[in-house]
Amino acid sequence: MAKSHSVWTSIRFWRQSAAWVTGFAVVLLILLTFDTMRQIKMGSKRVPAPTVINHHIDYKYSKKRGHEVPVIGKKELFFGKEWSPKEAAALLHKGKLTEQAKNCMDCHTLLGNGAYYAPDLTKAWLDPKWKDMQAMIGAKTREEAMAKFLQHPEMYPTHERRMPNLKITAEEAQALVAFLKHMSSIDTNGFPRGFSKTVSDFKAGGTYAH
Amino acid sequence: MFFEKFTDVYPSFWGWLNQGPLTLTLFLHTIIILPMIWLYFKEKKRLEQEDK
Repeated sequence: MAKSHSVWTSIRFWRQSAAWVTGFAVVLLILLTFDTMRQIKMGSKRVPAPTVINHHIDYKYSKKRGHEVPVIGKKELFFGKEWSPKEAAALLHKGKLTEQAKNCMDCHTLLGNGAYYAPDLTKAWLDPKWKDMQAMIGAKTREEAMAKFLQHPEMYPTHERRMPNLKITAEEAQALVAFLKHMSSIDTNGFPRGFSKTVSDFKAGGTYAH
Repeated sequence: MFFEKFTDVYPSFWGWLNQGPLTLTLFLHTIIILPMIWLYFKEKKRLEQEDK
């Protein structure tokens, strides 16, 4: 009489299945890694080149895409000058190092990483509240207002939890503002959602911007 | 619509698959399961031949 064997108890079957699933996942993850690297490269369609800080950046609702997208506009001076590609890259690098050194992500969120103890910084440059801050500080430009705020954040009533003074120098503040401006120009597929809602909209439905 | 028009800035096969609800998940699971069905019948045949 023939013995009855079940495939489900065959070690050989499970071993082959595990090898297939693991091999497929490895190949897929390698492909996805290269796909991501292509998209997050500076100077690509999604992440603009450092010289984007020399341009006006707007955030407009795109009907086609169903969310807001950054719109890079006309040239505008940044801290009173036009930055060369080399200078802009160096400034952004310094901004990134400062952001890491001061541990912004302990409280804020940047491109989906960090905390929600303080406002999301992904599109911070585009926050309409900087206009009020500009008037409060008496700064001529948005970047000047942001830089002054970053040096003495404890002096301004921006949020129910006031930001502490992190002893950010004038140079570091300038680099941080550049870093934030560049970040706001990144096409994040509409993240954070509903950023440009008004405060009354926020009270009704919620947004990470305020 | 199950598959929506692809609108992202980067044309990508994976991005396109991820436009609808569960479309990427269903695709990946199908790809993983199909060869396992083939492996199942291959193993079944082998076991039956072993018994003879």
